[in-house]
Amino acid sequence: MRWLRFAVLILVVAILQKGVLARWDHKPDLLLILLVFFAVYSNTSEAIISSFTIGFAADLIGSPLPMGPHMISFGLFGTLLAYVHRVVAIRRMPYQALAILITGFLTGALAHLLVFLIKREPMPENVFTAIFLTSLFSSLVGPLLFPPAAWSVGIEMNRFQRRSRR
Amino acid sequence: MLFTWLMLTGCILFFTPQGLTGKFQLAFVDIFRWPLSLGGNVALTARTHKSFDGAPGGDEAHLRNYIANLEQTLSQQSKKLRELYGLYNTDIWEGADWALAGVITRTVEGPRNELTIDYRKKKGLVKGQYVLGGESVIGTISDVFPQLHTARVKLITDATSQIPVELAGVPTIMKGSGGNFAVIETLKKKVDVGEKVFARRKAGLMDASIIAGRVARCERNHKTASTWDITVEPACDIAALEDVAVIIMNPKT
Repeated sequence: MRWLRFAVLILVVAILQKGVLARWDHKPDLLLILLVFFAVYSNTSEAIISSFTIGFAADLIGSPLPMGPHMISFGLFGTLLAYVHRVVAIRRMPYQALAILITGFLTGALAHLLVFLIKREPMPENVFTAIFLTSLFSSLVGPLLFPPAAWSVGIEMNRFQRRSRR
Repeated sequence: MLFTWLMLTGCILFFTPQGLTGKFQLAFVDIFRWPLSLGGNVALTARTHKSFDGAPGGDEAHLRNYIANLEQTLSQQSKKLRELYGLYNTDIWEGADWALAGVITRTVEGPRNELTIDYRKKKGLVKGQYVLGGESVIGTISDVFPQLHTARVKLITDATSQIPVELAGVPTIMKGSGGNFAVIETLKKKVDVGEKVFARRKAGLMDASIIAGRVARCERNHKTASTWDITVEPACDIAALEDVAVIIMNPKT
């Protein structure tokens, strides 16, 4: 993987998420989409590093939540997804959308639960609905954003497909 | 091994006091101030079509809030005058200062709502101070980063926000509920939709009651039928705010 391109991509996406998308009523989580993308299209060690890095970026823009919960939850579930992908290939769009939906809900729920249980911050009443909606919107647009993400970091999306046909 | 080290890093970050790690978040916003605020302007342009559906525009809401505040101030002054009949009566805003600040980023949807503001050329901001936008109270300062002249504002709609308010003459507490709404629970009297909700004066932070919102819904409490749950919407369109003012009472010169 080209790490410089990766860093630039994460930075641009973080700025978009905190700037333009922050005011939209219903918005996808672009960092979550990238988390699933790198978990699916990178090798395991790259997926682990990228999961924690994306989590760190999510923490940077995750205010008013404190820093750390996203790094832990993204890192944990990104790594888990990368290992799951070694057993169950997530190549078709519906499966990718499902992976985004489930990962989004789990990462969001874990991040808020960590803050609630350890930092003793109050848990908003409708937080799980908000997490589910964000995951849903992300899952709807996520698979469509995979090709531009792959192009921007120089990952060949078809290489896994060819390998599986042999 | 890689996973363990990175997880450990995440845990260290998580257990570091928020006062310290919050500075990283503010520093990020400060460094990328231009693209972040540029993004805000783009989103604002996209939202302008919403104001043609008969709803009051930004200026009209601004004026209505201003009038409501004047009425409330007049009422408060009259009461004070009656109480202190024959004695001197000082201006309620005497000694107060205002720190004007630009909005860099805003999060107004979802359960957690906040603004990041830039208060250059001003000192004296501390946690807890009230923030006004469009002549109404929109939140309180939750974190300050003096080195970068940046601060965070916890909006009245944030799910963790609680501010003392007065509704139809009844002092109560308004809690944020996320999604650009706040709630007042178990109020003992029914109020009309559109009724004004005023943030109560707080010694050392705000010396007069100022409008914070308007009643959007009034429904019976599910558990106690004799009480009412009130849904309040902010008195101004927070998502469209470009500038805010922080009230600094008794500033140190």
